[in-house]
Amino acid sequence: MSIKEKVPVTILTGFLGSGKTTLLNRILSEEHGKRIAVIENEYGEVGIDQGLVINADEEVFEMSNGCICCTVRGDLIRVLGNLMKRRDKFDYVLVETTGLADPGPVAQTFFMDEEISSEFTLDGIVTLVDAAHIDQQLGRSDESSEQVAFADVLVLNKTDLVSDDALDTLESRLRDMNRMTRIIRAENAKVPIETVLNLSAFDLDQILKRRPTFLEPEYPFEWTGVYDLDAGKYELMIEEGPDPEMSLVALSNQGESEEELKDGAESSVRLYAEKANSLDPGNTIPYGEHINLKLEEQGTKSFILNIEKPTKIGLFTQHTAEEFNMKVIKSDENKEISFNTERFWQAEHEHDDEVGSIAIERFGDVDPEKLNTWMGRLLSEKGVDIFRTKGFISYSGNPRRIVFQGVHMLFTAQPDKEWGNEPRRNQLVFIGRNLNEKEMQEGFDKCLI
Amino acid sequence: MPDIEPFSPRGMFHEGWTAEVSDYAIACGWALKGKQFIVGDVVGGIFAFEGDTGKIIWEKENTHSGGLLAMAIHPEGEIFATSGQDGNVQICNCHEGKVIKTLDIGKGWVEHLKWSNDGLFLAIASSKKVYVFNQIGEEKWISEDHSSTVSAITWSNKNELATACYGRVTFFDIVNNKTNQKLEWQGSLVSMELSPDGDIVACGSQDNSVHFWRRSTGMDAEMTGYPGKPSHLSFDDSGKLLATSGSERITVWSFIGNGPEGTMPGELCHHTEPISSLAFSNKGMLVASGSRDGSVVASFLKKDGNGDPVGAAFAGDLVGAISWRPDDCALAAVNAKGVVNVWKFKVRTNLFSKGFK
Repeated sequence: MSIKEKVPVTILTGFLGSGKTTLLNRILSEEHGKRIAVIENEYGEVGIDQGLVINADEEVFEMSNGCICCTVRGDLIRVLGNLMKRRDKFDYVLVETTGLADPGPVAQTFFMDEEISSEFTLDGIVTLVDAAHIDQQLGRSDESSEQVAFADVLVLNKTDLVSDDALDTLESRLRDMNRMTRIIRAENAKVPIETVLNLSAFDLDQILKRRPTFLEPEYPFEWTGVYDLDAGKYELMIEEGPDPEMSLVALSNQGESEEELKDGAESSVRLYAEKANSLDPGNTIPYGEHINLKLEEQGTKSFILNIEKPTKIGLFTQHTAEEFNMKVIKSDENKEISFNTERFWQAEHEHDDEVGSIAIERFGDVDPEKLNTWMGRLLSEKGVDIFRTKGFISYSGNPRRIVFQGVHMLFTAQPDKEWGNEPRRNQLVFIGRNLNEKEMQEGFDKCLI
Repeated sequence: MPDIEPFSPRGMFHEGWTAEVSDYAIACGWALKGKQFIVGDVVGGIFAFEGDTGKIIWEKENTHSGGLLAMAIHPEGEIFATSGQDGNVQICNCHEGKVIKTLDIGKGWVEHLKWSNDGLFLAIASSKKVYVFNQIGEEKWISEDHSSTVSAITWSNKNELATACYGRVTFFDIVNNKTNQKLEWQGSLVSMELSPDGDIVACGSQDNSVHFWRRSTGMDAEMTGYPGKPSHLSFDDSGKLLATSGSERITVWSFIGNGPEGTMPGELCHHTEPISSLAFSNKGMLVASGSRDGSVVASFLKKDGNGDPVGAAFAGDLVGAISWRPDDCALAAVNAKGVVNVWKFKVRTNLFSKGFK
């Protein structure tokens, strides 16, 4: 018998009114050469135009062991079980879930049910959010944040109803919750079809190509400016800004190359970890110390920088210079000295949402047994709170990298392409609720050889 | 396809006939006391063949728009019922295939059909409801909504219907409109079979286990360790052996003595891919199995549930359904490509099977 290719399935989630049916109709009406079967849980007012459409009530089936990770969607098993007998009629499946659907059981169905997983493959989860309402929805319902957490693609819809600034803030909030997702802005669910279909969402190379920095470490500061200064007295002038105080580390002998900047950042991270000394305006900024500039006063504040011999000073500041219109002035000449180089850093955010992402990136090999033990324990203890896991691992002695993907407690590890000349490394992302980043990183580090 | 006959065939399957239907064949059965064989395909084509020769008697297409979901032949073999995604049930005459009555059940899929053993009632499951009609299509009873879509129905005696859904098996007295018994268990029940005396209720569950209850004692047990969900169950005519499968293996539980609790089940490992259909012969301890790999095997079982294959054949593609002729002298298999295979099955008499080892 011939080996059949599995039929890809895309899940469309999102609250009622987020534009799922509009997107669905858009996909169905476009010329893409695909014959799409649609399973519809949401019976909206907007009808579906064409194709093989099957309505089914959402049925969430928990198992007797009470494990939420074994929970599946009975309606999908039933309908897909029938569709698999009609393989010649379609080559793609779209599932439109209800607004309140928990994506977990939907995704798990493709892992848990042998009959389904032998014929279908979950291509990706596309979550639509209504840009005007998602902020409130996230605060009010777990389903909403879980739909964001599970998304391979987030369509930020109805952007015409929201200001650009608000969209930026919203995007950064969503990004915090799910660092793996691709965010697409849209009006009236108008998105290019290839951004939602045939994602092969578990293809990590694709994700990394799109977003190589999602594993970049976060820093407690957002900005660095390097100033080339002669000996003398300087003033750091700071105007009113968004915060009544600002942390800062000043380093002397700061180089300007990327490597030197990163070294400086490393030193600053360590200094930032120490308790800050408060500094009122008019005082001198010490070097190599974590200080906290007090900025409550109205108007422009000034702090002193004393330079004994010519050097390059690196200022690692909590906020960007722009936000406070920060300037360095040579006191006797009253002349502004602009920076030679500036560098922005991925800033740590206040992680307000319970749902967030944790990334682990380490060079080197891991011990497969230790990793399995650690992952097994992690997922059995925290599996309920870990929504999705993706990443790849370098097993010692294995020429291929190992691709990990998981939904709650279920995970698969499959050998992928050969490492070749690439440096061996490990990248893992966990998306979940109330995850302890430090503990997880330490746990992973113990698996390294 | 590798040779799927690892054992020496004993000449039990003899060449019969083959035929073709239009699409993936999902249902089949013998009518007119074995003189006719009816096949239904997934898109709604129904085909009747001469039981002995395979010559087409009648055929019809598009009986249910959206596709066929179930077919059930009346125990007398003169009429049959079909149902589909269109929410309809058709009761038809076997001789010409003519529709005697169309029942409009509703919008949902009509997924299950079962005639009562005496043929007086036809039970129909669609979404969360179960309906009972008589043979001329008059409605006799409707259930309340079940807690989920009804996943299986079967008659426990002439007036009592068992239904399975998420978390429960329910027994309804459909004549007096009352609920006789509820057997609760938190799990998604995907299949159900009753022993011929109606005492043992066996259900395959989504969590890869078989749960069963003895109605007379109220005792229940859970058999775990299946590699896949046991979608396929079959009792032998004595009710002593229950064949189950959720993978390429068939597990047979024996209810003889104190079993099956605490006993080792029989295991039959004849297929390379998961079982897609399973049926005991009408009489005796022969079980036929069809697999996704296209293999069909008949095994003769001992009292402990173990057994040996007595014949095998290749049906060409995933076996959609199998059916023993009422006299057990032929076995039919229909496949995913729409091919119908009927093999003569000799040596199958009660007398012979006793001495058969």
